[in-house]
Amino acid sequence: MEMSTAIRSAMDDDVEEILLTHEQIQTRVAELGAELAADYADREPVLVSVLKGSIIFLADLVRAMPVHVSLDLMELSSYGASTQSSGQVRILKDLSGPIRGRDVVVVEDIIDTGLTLNYLLKYLNDRGPSSVRICCLLDKPARRLAEIDISYRGFTIPDRFVIGYGLDYDERYRNLPYIGVLRPSVYGASPPEG
Amino acid sequence: MWISWPDILKADGARTSADRYDRGAVAATLSSGSPPRFAHQSEAELARILDFYRIEWRYEPDTFPLSWNAAGAVVESFSPDFYLPEVDLYLELTTLKQSLVRRKNRKLRWLRQLYPENRVKMFYARDFQALMFKYGRLDFLADVAAMNGNGPLNDALGGED
Repeated sequence: MEMSTAIRSAMDDDVEEILLTHEQIQTRVAELGAELAADYADREPVLVSVLKGSIIFLADLVRAMPVHVSLDLMELSSYGASTQSSGQVRILKDLSGPIRGRDVVVVEDIIDTGLTLNYLLKYLNDRGPSSVRICCLLDKPARRLAEIDISYRGFTIPDRFVIGYGLDYDERYRNLPYIGVLRPSVYGASPPEG
Repeated sequence: MWISWPDILKADGARTSADRYDRGAVAATLSSGSPPRFAHQSEAELARILDFYRIEWRYEPDTFPLSWNAAGAVVESFSPDFYLPEVDLYLELTTLKQSLVRRKNRKLRWLRQLYPENRVKMFYARDFQALMFKYGRLDFLADVAAMNGNGPLNDALGGED
């Protein structure tokens, strides 16, 4: 217990500002879950999430949906890690089952440029689903390059570097229960220009 | 309304092919024709990112006249760096400091007023920095910042996608 408190304090020290509290997130996730459950009451949708950032949102969301659902997970290569290999995005973990004729809901933690999701949507649509809709917890539209039609949106957030509730910096902070803004000194940034 | 490249170059200040950048070897590209030479290495990097995520792009495909003299000759124009046909979006990338982009912002405002049917987005230095940060390309960012005389990362960084 003591150790847990110490780790939590160390992480909290790296947070400049709490953008969304745990309570705010839980309330909104419950609303999204209820909305999805109403829309997909008799359709047993497949909820597809992209590793790793979305798993905490997915875990809470699916428990707020009192209807039958299937879950599937995918993992895509990221640009920075892959520029020396194929030069194009690759599927590191594919769907476990077919989605042909199924109603698919892509569950995303955050949509920023939309490039990854744009690729993912093309990939999923090529597999013949009955429908594909997007549910994201955080929509950060400031740098959007590919327009994404978001059917279920948790929060629209400003252009800040956010961590927690699944979102990481260098694989850390995913286990924070809230969404916070990372202190610039953590990633070696200088103070903002006047 | 469209004018030729030679006219634009006369009006806007010619850029030579020297000191231009290519985007290096990529597995494939959706963009047809010969690979362009980019005016800045940040543009080449953005092209690599778009290639990676299989977003079709064109480099400086269109030039928009913005102002004319009394004789009707174009005296100012704007050629956005990229056009993304799939999403019908023009994209202008600048790695200049925020305080130095006033001229570009003014041109962008004019372009939006004169050609409201076109969607144009400015990608500022802070946006590019955030993109590089997200993809762990801090070494590249340092090179670009050094070229521009900019400082290190500011705090305008964004999260993952």
